[in-house]
Amino acid sequence: MNKHAAKMGWLLASPYLIYSAIFFLIPLFWALFLAFTNWNLISPEYETVGMQNFLDAFFSPSVRAAFWVTYKFMLMFVPIVIAGSLFLALIIHHLPRWKGLFAVGYFLPYLASGVASSIVVKGVISYNSPLNQFLRNALGWDVDWLGSPILAPLVIALMMAWKFVGYYALLFLAGLESIPKEVYEAAEIDGVVGWKRVWYVTIPMLYPSFYTVTILAVGLMFGIFTEPYVLTGGGPEYATHTWQLEIYNQAFEKLNAGYGTAVAIINSIVTFASIFVFRKVLEKWGGKHGWE
Amino acid sequence: MVGSKRWKVGLLYVLAFAVLFVMVFPYLYMVLGSLSPWNEVDRKLIPSSLTLRSYEWLFQGGEDVVPRPWLRAFFNSVLVTSASTLLMLVTAVMVGYALSKVPFKGRQWVNNAILFQMFYPSIILLIPLFLIVRYFGWYNTYWAMILPKAVNLWAIFMYTNFFRSIPDELIEAAKMDGAGHFTIIRRIVWPMSRSITTIIFLFLFMERWVELLWDMLVVNNEKLLTLNVLLAQMFGPYGGYPGPMYAASVLLTLPILILFLLFSKNFKEGMQFILK
Repeated sequence: MNKHAAKMGWLLASPYLIYSAIFFLIPLFWALFLAFTNWNLISPEYETVGMQNFLDAFFSPSVRAAFWVTYKFMLMFVPIVIAGSLFLALIIHHLPRWKGLFAVGYFLPYLASGVASSIVVKGVISYNSPLNQFLRNALGWDVDWLGSPILAPLVIALMMAWKFVGYYALLFLAGLESIPKEVYEAAEIDGVVGWKRVWYVTIPMLYPSFYTVTILAVGLMFGIFTEPYVLTGGGPEYATHTWQLEIYNQAFEKLNAGYGTAVAIINSIVTFASIFVFRKVLEKWGGKHGWE
Repeated sequence: MVGSKRWKVGLLYVLAFAVLFVMVFPYLYMVLGSLSPWNEVDRKLIPSSLTLRSYEWLFQGGEDVVPRPWLRAFFNSVLVTSASTLLMLVTAVMVGYALSKVPFKGRQWVNNAILFQMFYPSIILLIPLFLIVRYFGWYNTYWAMILPKAVNLWAIFMYTNFFRSIPDELIEAAKMDGAGHFTIIRRIVWPMSRSITTIIFLFLFMERWVELLWDMLVVNNEKLLTLNVLLAQMFGPYGGYPGPMYAASVLLTLPILILFLLFSKNFKEGMQFILK
């Protein structure tokens, strides 16, 4: 009986095991090897080059751009998406009726393909679009949205925020709904009302949701590909050049597979380190205020 | 007092609808753009008249310019996404069941491996995965888009957690009646997990449907391109045909929206489990 259970267990788990052997373990070791070669994806010949790829990446302007662009995206995206999703969650939470309807409505952008929404955004901000006509005729502003190194990342960050705000709002909503009524009542007896109540009761009680949303939002910024690929191709002047674009360009456009793999490894180290730092800072900050 | 409260609620609804409008606006813009006369696309917010020309152009393959297999691409998307999603669901139920209901040596080990893999940055694997697919001779086949996306760790994780909440007694009772594991999965576990399956299915389907990078890498045969890839790649050359671009975007968005709205009744219930 026990032997049978063991066999069944392994049999039922086998899809995962086979899949991981082929599509995880082998590529993982292959990547670790490739990163030290100068292979060009096509020719049968290549040689190991030691740390050369990593050195090259360190001095490469496009890798540096990707490094900084990610933080620039974060700086724009994270505050917008946190404020926005909290705002949406508060609206839904306080509605007496049709909560579900609005929650679903706000979630709809999450379902849009990055390609489709990029196309729409490109249309909305194209030269002759109603928006730009209005800005030009009424205000005299001639804005080149995707040609400006400050506006282009902002456009992408806003678009990502539009997409994720409804999803993160659900996380905040779950947090809001888990705050017991008694806590508010107790606070009211102590004279904590209005904005004070938001600051001293709601936000501390929402700390777990803040934590989750922030880490998710930060992690997301390291994996942007579709939007800059369709909208800007990484430009203008690397202003929207993300890690994924760099890896894709190096490996599959310029055929530097070895170098591209090295960049991917650097990318994942940077991602891990950044998220680690964010977690520590958030935990420390929360701990200082007695939140958990 | 009551008057001021009613006023506040009214304001809240105005706000709620205003936000809803902002969230849905790009969808409206897309649909209006797809129905506009071609000289008004991206120039007028409200078109002066509606026309189906963009859709006709699309469904005829856009032959008057360069033939692009738009409908074929739509079919490819449906095929690849359905096959992948189905496989991901089946494998996730199997593995999740094994990890929560079948005690076997090494179970904890498998569990930990999955957790580790979930937090592992998959970008490192991109290039070698491409090489493996090429090595197997799957380059430019449907297999390249389906098989590397046949197992989903997040889905396994979710099912494992959900199945843990199913009482063991139920499974034991079924075993007493002589049911095997596969029967138990089909007759007991699967029907019980309907609400979470709805959500997992929606998320898996949606993510697979909008995949760009991978599908773009492993296929360059025009007949096999998915709609998402075709749309992304035709963006430049078709700059002069924004109408059909929007029509194709609608075609790309509609299936997901329909699926989602179809299942939105189960949405909140299942979501509560996912967010826990």
